[in-house]
Amino acid sequence: MKQLNLGLIGLGYVGKIHLRHGTKLTDAKLVAVSDVSRNALAKARKTGVKHTYLDYQQLLKNPDIDAVIIALPTHLHNVCALDAAEAGKDIFLEKPLASNPKEGEEILRAVEKNGRKLMAGYHFRFAPPFRDLREQMLNGFLGEIQTATATFVGAGPMIMHRADGHSPRPVPSWWFDKKLTGGGVLMDLGCHMINLLRWYFGEIVDVKSYLGYRFKLDFEDHAACVAKFVSGQVAIFHVGWFSLGHQVRVELFGTAKTASAEIVPPAKIIHAIQLLMGKSSQFYLPHFLELKQFIHCLKNDIPPSPSGMDGLRDLEVISKAYANSIQLE
Amino acid sequence: MSLVSLVKIQEKQFKKAIIDSLQLIDYNFPKVQNIVIKPNMCYYWDYTTGCTTDPKFVGNLIDVLREQISPKVNISLVESDASAMKCDRAFKILGYDQLAQQYNVPLINLCNEKSDKATTTVGKTKITLQVPYIIKDADLKINATKIKYSMEPIKITCAMKNIFGCIPYPQKYRYHPFLSEVIVAANKLMKFDLCLVDGQIIQGAQTRKMDMAMASTDQVALDAVAAKLAGVNPKSIKYLQMASKEGLGRISFKNRGIPWEYFGGIFPRRGTKEKFMAKAYEMVNKMHLERRLMLD
Repeated sequence: MKQLNLGLIGLGYVGKIHLRHGTKLTDAKLVAVSDVSRNALAKARKTGVKHTYLDYQQLLKNPDIDAVIIALPTHLHNVCALDAAEAGKDIFLEKPLASNPKEGEEILRAVEKNGRKLMAGYHFRFAPPFRDLREQMLNGFLGEIQTATATFVGAGPMIMHRADGHSPRPVPSWWFDKKLTGGGVLMDLGCHMINLLRWYFGEIVDVKSYLGYRFKLDFEDHAACVAKFVSGQVAIFHVGWFSLGHQVRVELFGTAKTASAEIVPPAKIIHAIQLLMGKSSQFYLPHFLELKQFIHCLKNDIPPSPSGMDGLRDLEVISKAYANSIQLE
Repeated sequence: MSLVSLVKIQEKQFKKAIIDSLQLIDYNFPKVQNIVIKPNMCYYWDYTTGCTTDPKFVGNLIDVLREQISPKVNISLVESDASAMKCDRAFKILGYDQLAQQYNVPLINLCNEKSDKATTTVGKTKITLQVPYIIKDADLKINATKIKYSMEPIKITCAMKNIFGCIPYPQKYRYHPFLSEVIVAANKLMKFDLCLVDGQIIQGAQTRKMDMAMASTDQVALDAVAAKLAGVNPKSIKYLQMASKEGLGRISFKNRGIPWEYFGGIFPRRGTKEKFMAKAYEMVNKMHLERRLMLD
């Protein structure tokens, strides 16, 4: 079978992760990258990427490229995904799907019209602890799940983790513009928790939110939400950008048993040693697995999951959460 | 010997703590017109993390200045953009916008101010930095800093390191290979008259509530006390040694106020594990692994 050629659009935080993984895939090859930074492109060339472009339109014109990974700021997802679909490329689109459901719907229509495949980038679905937890639930070990909690609290765009704690890094200005992000922490981290919980329990029929503004910006930096699922479960999920700590955790409360799973970022030194020894860092393993799944779906003509529709549903839940926000005295 | 005071902050009574700490070092405010206060702002991490000076502490300091000097005294709060921090956002996120409105004082991003080149030597090294006019022309310069225990090579961040933040050049990480020298140069070129420490929360191996304030007119002595509190030998800190040699202040000090015994065992010191990780991280940094591994 022909080897798939991939193009990567965007070399920001998550783009760099995909770059590293894109060069390690066995049945696909990352042959091109695009970014507005010449410096980032020069670094990419050193990893063995053949073609680099300052303009992603040039990448899309390359007929050798079968599919693209879009890892751009949220406000560029719509236009780039529409262009990619029109150019006949299959798409792996980082979360959140778009800045709002309307833009998300446009992406889905364009993908369908052009007969392409679209996978939404939600790496937690590929994280072994969260997969194991779902297995336990599906195998009935927990009985019937009545309630659940999901937590994703950290410093959001304003941090990276290292051995001695944390190191600041510049925050791109688009993060501070609600028009570009489509929202605050609910869009950034909330979409992950919503996606994960929907994977566990199915569609959300109702959601209410409390939105917090510790940083006094025009978007929420923490939120607590209650969601009811079509299957009857109720989950509380809360997300925040306010903490120097970091926690991603899901707890399931069943009639037979309770169980939980979490992702803990490694100390940076351990992380560095793992990479130096040629091992893939466990922290980024879910990103690698989701990319492998995308390739698998393309090669075997299987609808990707999480799908574009999953991404759209998540956006709809977020919109509803914003609309149904409550005030607390 | 330089005087350094340590006082308890009782029930958030910052004003009393500031006045008490100044009395203990026999400090009287001069009759001046233009004052700059340099709080310690660290990225977008507010005072509850121990990284940033509490705006309420600074607000109470403004009250003290207006009461003791003149209600009409001009006070400016200054900070500069850093490698990762943009002042405009930090002022808002860290609560300084609100403070400025409440006290009717300007918030100055030093990177947007006029400045002049100035050159000094530290040991045999000649260092040229930009010095903002607003600092140069101030009649009284107050350093309202924090204590943070950090990694090699500087070990502590306190009064002297806070003045590094007055350099009106955002990409200050470029100075990191010779950080000690630049810290001393910045303090030589922008000599602050009074240092106060907001020691409510101290950041070290853990974040710890300490509820104390410190004052001194000697930034070297103040940093030496801060180091000693955490069991770090001040003489092992390169920039303190250099500053002392350059005549910026004295490592030897006389402390007044809370006795040393009070701090025994309650400071957030680093354990063996943290020390090992710190060394390992230092090695990683030296090997430039971050960039090679694209972790940055």
